[in-house]
Amino acid sequence: MSAFMNNFPVLAVMTLFVGGFLNSLAGRRHGLVQKIVVLISITASLVMMLALVKPVMVDGEIITYWLGNWEPVEGWAIGIALEVDALSLFFGLIVTVAVFVSGVYSFTYMDHDDSLVNYYTLFMMLGGSVLGLVLSGDLFNIFVMVEIMTFTAVALTAFRSHYEGALEGAMKYLVVGSLGSTFLLVGIAIMYSQLHTLNLAQIAALLPEQSDNPLAGVAFAFLFIGFASKAFLFPFQPLAADAHAVAPASISLMISGVLTKCGVYGIIRMCYILYQNMDLPVVQYLVTGLGAVTMFICVTMAFQQHNFKRLLAFHSISQVGYVITAVGLGSALGVSAGLYHAMNHTIFKGLLFLTAGAVQHQTGSLDLDGLGGLAKKMPRTTALFLIGAASISGLPPFNGFASKWMIYQATFQKGVDTGNFFFIIVCVLALLTSVLTLASFIKVTQSVFFGQLPEKYKDVKEAPLLMRIPMWILAVLCIITGLFPTQVQNWLLLPATNAAYNAAGYIDAAMGEGYAALHNIVSSGVTSLGVSTCWNPIAWLALLFCITCAVTIVALLGSPDSKEDSHVSTADENAEELDPKYEPFFSGEESVYSQVGGSDLFWGFKHSWRKYFTFWTHWHSGIVNDYTLYGVVVTAFVLLACIIVL
Amino acid sequence: MFDKLIDNSMAKSPWIFHVNAGSCNGCDIELVSVLTPRYDAERLGFRLTGTPRQADIVVVSGPITLQTRDRLVRILAQVPEPRVVVSLGSCPRSGNVFKGSYAIDGPLDKYTHVDVSVGGCTPKPEAIVAALAQAAEILREKRKEMHK
Amino acid sequence: MTDLLFNLIYVLLFPGLLFCVVMGVLLAGLDRIWVARMQRRVGPPLLQSWYDFLKCCGKETIIPRHGKKAIYYGAPLLGFVALITISLFLPVVNGHAAFSGTADLVVILYLLTLVSVCMIVGASATGSPFAGVGLSREMVSMISYELPFVLVILTVSRAVLSGGDGASYTFSLQAIADYQVANGPLITHWALIPAAIAMLFVIPCEVGMHPFDVAEAETEICEGTLAEYSGPPLTLYRLTHMVKMFIMTALFCVLFLGGISTGFIVLDTLILVVFCLVLTFLTMSLPHAVCARFKTEQVFKFYWTVVAALAAVSLILVWLGF
Repeated sequence: MSAFMNNFPVLAVMTLFVGGFLNSLAGRRHGLVQKIVVLISITASLVMMLALVKPVMVDGEIITYWLGNWEPVEGWAIGIALEVDALSLFFGLIVTVAVFVSGVYSFTYMDHDDSLVNYYTLFMMLGGSVLGLVLSGDLFNIFVMVEIMTFTAVALTAFRSHYEGALEGAMKYLVVGSLGSTFLLVGIAIMYSQLHTLNLAQIAALLPEQSDNPLAGVAFAFLFIGFASKAFLFPFQPLAADAHAVAPASISLMISGVLTKCGVYGIIRMCYILYQNMDLPVVQYLVTGLGAVTMFICVTMAFQQHNFKRLLAFHSISQVGYVITAVGLGSALGVSAGLYHAMNHTIFKGLLFLTAGAVQHQTGSLDLDGLGGLAKKMPRTTALFLIGAASISGLPPFNGFASKWMIYQATFQKGVDTGNFFFIIVCVLALLTSVLTLASFIKVTQSVFFGQLPEKYKDVKEAPLLMRIPMWILAVLCIITGLFPTQVQNWLLLPATNAAYNAAGYIDAAMGEGYAALHNIVSSGVTSLGVSTCWNPIAWLALLFCITCAVTIVALLGSPDSKEDSHVSTADENAEELDPKYEPFFSGEESVYSQVGGSDLFWGFKHSWRKYFTFWTHWHSGIVNDYTLYGVVVTAFVLLACIIVL
Repeated sequence: MFDKLIDNSMAKSPWIFHVNAGSCNGCDIELVSVLTPRYDAERLGFRLTGTPRQADIVVVSGPITLQTRDRLVRILAQVPEPRVVVSLGSCPRSGNVFKGSYAIDGPLDKYTHVDVSVGGCTPKPEAIVAALAQAAEILREKRKEMHK
Repeated sequence: MTDLLFNLIYVLLFPGLLFCVVMGVLLAGLDRIWVARMQRRVGPPLLQSWYDFLKCCGKETIIPRHGKKAIYYGAPLLGFVALITISLFLPVVNGHAAFSGTADLVVILYLLTLVSVCMIVGASATGSPFAGVGLSREMVSMISYELPFVLVILTVSRAVLSGGDGASYTFSLQAIADYQVANGPLITHWALIPAAIAMLFVIPCEVGMHPFDVAEAETEICEGTLAEYSGPPLTLYRLTHMVKMFIMTALFCVLFLGGISTGFIVLDTLILVVFCLVLTFLTMSLPHAVCARFKTEQVFKFYWTVVAALAAVSLILVWLGF
């Protein structure tokens, strides 16, 4: 690694910020200048992150950069550090890829809107702050980045302020988001008062000695809730739903794919590196339990939605619930499964939000009950959506399946190892959530892309190429990460998991060799994930291909010899008179528009669960006071649990 | 290549779609009785389907009232080739006791070629089974015509 | 070279494509005859399903106006082929799968889901309102049997681990087969009998047989998911349905009746066929002849209370070490 590469982390963050400021200076006049500035800075940060893969992921180095060269003196870290280990880089890659795709998508997607210079400035600041968060080695710096992130996200949520509910959604996000940030700040303040340092590495070294200190438990509770609120875990999920439904699709991608990852990253960093208390059963119950509850409640709430992006929002949080569940298991397999799913979640959820954006861009509507039959008009978008939907529903061979499969294994293995029935319940919940996710996406498929086309959408066009390119990038990533799980495990997950378990290495890299040993912190890292090798997508595809060939050959042998003889008839699209032969069978009635709307599907299921659904629908009251109250109650609960047990 | 096999199967697995074009329900009940244990048309491979898309034999009963006329024509158009039309009872043949009524626009062969016609008000189940078996043979012949 | 040849035989002849289709046609034909006999009818010939298959091949295919041609043809094909691949992963004969190490129980669960999804998407792409209702029902019945199915899978996996050496292959089919070769069929273990009964209930719903065929109710919703299908794509769906009968009964044999081996492939296959026939009679023909079709919410309620409770009892018993 060349010495210059040491600067890449800070440069990657700064390019995004500087790009944002340059944009507001120079881009006010020309749309083209805006786009060029944005494109250059997002590409530059992506390239810098990719360049770090070799030294950090493969060679296992940990890059530490002290801002202003304020290196630690006599074992005390005064300056602000950026510290990049494999875990940080893993999330850094997720962030930069998402920012890149979202940026490119915005170029065409936002062309109906004005004051774009503000949009791009805020967008770049959002990207920069998230990247800064995951690369940071300083607790207070993380807080600052969280604040920038929250406020830019709020502003971007309200960007289309003429939408009904945009300001309302932003307002809720602002209030409850501030609550979360405040908890984070309280946690940091307590931490600082006890340890007199804010450097992550130094805290990690000093904190385990404080395990008797009740204030450490209090700080843990506050930090945990703070990060959980940034990941929109239960009970913060209504915010995400309100924000996603009104935000532009490119921002929905950022909120679901990138902002929630900050929460996930924070929880992993805190539990595995700072406190190193993931072995304690109470922490496992707390994290896994919260994840499982989030995962299940959100997926059922998605059944109740009529808005395409609101439905996606609930699923987004549900998938984050999966990630947190896996991370909370406290096993190497669990962490790697969680990281894998976090990565996949960004990819497939981004893809789905972008297709929703494409539908909105072309039709102007997101109403699941009003749309329908778009597959005829937007076949490419439909194909992309089907890839994303299959991924999130965990259908083989896409990436969602590979990571969910690891999560089931991890939870089951954990249950068997500890003999604890709790983890088996979690495993069952995870498997159930998966099929409920599938049901929801069947609903979207049926009510948006298939079924019958309403009269008013008969002139809808396919989404423009510039919008489809970012979608294809994500779709291809969906397929690649799904087809090569072993390679992903070896090249990305193993280093990142190893970093999560290698607290000593993290401390030594920042504070100097031997600092960890001085404070009796020994960690061995992880050499294998212990994942079963029983899923081989390539072999399965080969078999699939083989049998398909056989079936096709038989079918061709049996088909009529000449073309005129073929017994396939399709409707003539240009015919003046509608031939009744091709009308859908409607008991002989004349064909009328008869789409089975999204909210009418799954009646049998919703009827059996009507009490449950009524309760949770009332619970999501839409009143910001209620949401704040839920947040405070859960915080009090976690605080009590941590004070009593930790 | 498999044409011969398919032709022979045509006669062995005819699926029936039943259209009631204003019938008094007498013929309909007799048609159902054909599928009951006593006559058991399933031993010949007959099966009632719920949609014309899967049907081979369309059985029409009733004198074709004005209300059912358009619906009947539409359903007949939706049946894939090769198909056989069977008229059940006297009504679709002639209008029967309803003949001359302002509400009747029959007979059935005004709208489609009728391959097999069963008389009677109502026809005996034995007669219906015989007609269906004959329809199945016609189906095989039609299929042979198609790829000739 | 010989390896390749053997693999081709596995994939195309036994236990792959040909064997599955033959077994599917056989089971479907016998099922129809048994139901007829129980209703004191003569019933169709044994090869009736085969005739149905050939007949549909010779029919015209009408792609409806709202339909999407690629999916109209692609979905049935993908569903059928994905179903056939499952047979290659089941250790049905001699306790070995044709391709072990490619898929485990969870993968099979999801491949079965994929088959249903192909059906749903195919139905959805025709744009028929009847298909819309049908696919909704199909999905609800899928949610219904998924819970007991998952519980059964966890129970069996746990039972195998508790007796074995704690191998890291958690959901491995091979581990289940090996355990049964060493310790006798799992059904002889009393704690697993409720799970086995639950699995017996899962089979007809997964296949979509009569009392649980809410999705294809021909009298109420005009064949539901298949309302707009005609010709070869229709017959592929029907064939999928038949092969599913074999796959599900074979899966039951793998989970609960494994380990019975004579050492000869032919005899073992015969034993498997006999088991499949008995299971088809028990789980599909008998309820078909006895019960009227359930309503959708009745199916859901039945599976999430009675059947899930049976499976959960087994899971808890196994967990407690019985």
